[in-house]
Amino acid sequence: MGKTKDELYSEMSDAVVNMEEELSAQLSNEAVESGYDAFEAIDLGLAKGMEQAGRLFDDGEYFVPELLMCADALNAGVEILKPYIKTERQEKKHKIVIGVIAGDTHDIGKNLVKLMLSSAGFDVIDLGRDVPPSVFVERAVQENAKIIMISSLMTTTMDGMADVINILNEKGIRNEFKVAIGGGPVSRRFADQIGADGYSSNANQAIKMANELVGR
Amino acid sequence: MDVFSPKERLQKTLSGETVDRPPVICPGGMMNAAIVDVMTKTGHLLPDAHHTSDKMSDLAYDVYENTGFENFGIPFCMTVEAEALGSSINFGSLECEPKIQKEVFPSVKDVTFLPDGTIANSSRAETVIQAIYLLSEKYPEIPAVGSLTGPISTAASIVDPMIFLKQLRREREAAHKVIDYVTEQLISYAKLMADNGAAAISIADPTATGEILGPKIFDEYAVYYLNKITDSVHELGVPVIVHICGDVRMVKPQLQKLHSKVLSVDAIVDLAMLKKELDNMPAMGNISTYLLEFGNADTVFKQAKHLLSKNIDILAPACGLSTSTPLNNITAFTSAIKEG
Repeated sequence: MGKTKDELYSEMSDAVVNMEEELSAQLSNEAVESGYDAFEAIDLGLAKGMEQAGRLFDDGEYFVPELLMCADALNAGVEILKPYIKTERQEKKHKIVIGVIAGDTHDIGKNLVKLMLSSAGFDVIDLGRDVPPSVFVERAVQENAKIIMISSLMTTTMDGMADVINILNEKGIRNEFKVAIGGGPVSRRFADQIGADGYSSNANQAIKMANELVGR
Repeated sequence: MDVFSPKERLQKTLSGETVDRPPVICPGGMMNAAIVDVMTKTGHLLPDAHHTSDKMSDLAYDVYENTGFENFGIPFCMTVEAEALGSSINFGSLECEPKIQKEVFPSVKDVTFLPDGTIANSSRAETVIQAIYLLSEKYPEIPAVGSLTGPISTAASIVDPMIFLKQLRREREAAHKVIDYVTEQLISYAKLMADNGAAAISIADPTATGEILGPKIFDEYAVYYLNKITDSVHELGVPVIVHICGDVRMVKPQLQKLHSKVLSVDAIVDLAMLKKELDNMPAMGNISTYLLEFGNADTVFKQAKHLLSKNIDILAPACGLSTSTPLNNITAFTSAIKEG
């Protein structure tokens, strides 16, 4: 007698937490072969593991390298299960445009936030690094995004965050988007000052914040 | 009349001797004070000054003269090393510092190992070394600090950082090989800086933080390779400053293993407390760059006095300065320290 569905999901979750890419793929194949619902296998198996990884990150047990490896294990499984998701189960995902504001040197933090949000079921559109304020607005309109997320690593570029909000105001579309900011030098106080809707100090907290912003 | 020249004061402080008051410096690299206010006043502008030693030394002198920092700190970016090793660079503008356009390798396993001295002999490094030479010859009483991008950050500037960070765990052997290669390249560059008059070498390694790497990987890679560079430079009799970004709470025991003469940290760290916890380790820092940019001169002055009262060994900005920092905030900081 093989394992039960719950046991399989729990093993899938563990494979993600333990950063085991191959095992995650293998267990996901097992889920497909057993005829389990692919959406459920992601939701109750793989994604649970990623949630756990996020908690370990918050607790200072896991750091960036570990979180990235967990995400690889998650994605290895998702790639296998994705083709089997029944279309009616594919809920409409909330769209987020994310990018690093003009001038910044690197984008490790932004990539991490993107990865965590994708794993939590958001459709994340990455504008990359060195993104001018006007492009954040243009793309958010084009993509019909719910949230604009702006990251900055240097105080030099923090003014650009306020510019995004100013442009939204000028165009009279401020209420159509939630604006969230993050990054090394950014603080809650700064977010309040420029009138941003959300602030997160780390990648895992960003999930909670994004959920709140879209009312999930 | 000061008892010590700025160079004597810095060197004595770095060798643990008592001086009249702590030096106030800005070491260059990520932490440089080439702000727009200074450049527009003197007309020596970035990004031009990244490229010729005359312009670089002129701007370094302008910064020294106008800000009140008691050193020359060059270069004005963190891209010299990665460019020499193959990555493409965007040189930015007057307001915006240069950055890596694209890391040249997708993985630590794809790195092409160039001959030793590739950084040291590159045209960018030559500009920096020549500028150090010019400044230290012309102004022997002012310390020229040569700023180096740390080994982890340089490695993460030639290999895609998201892949690189995973490979620190997954491909340890290949990762060590790449960081060791980068370290050797940095050592020969630092030695040339020292040979040409650098009074100190400052290493900033912003990718190597406790928050990003965690204590184990910080120990295995950052501490080991930072010490390797530090030891090589110390052999030449030139002191090393190491700057660690971010919150260091997770890596305090590891910080104690660093061989540098002084440890510089971010504004989030309570420097007086850290000093106490690390057996009175010499500490540098850490006026908030946020305060310097957005605060007023009065508050900056008071905060500087507060730091001074905590027996911090060297006063300096906590992190990279914004290029739009007002000059009078910086002079409020430096003058508060100088009047003792």
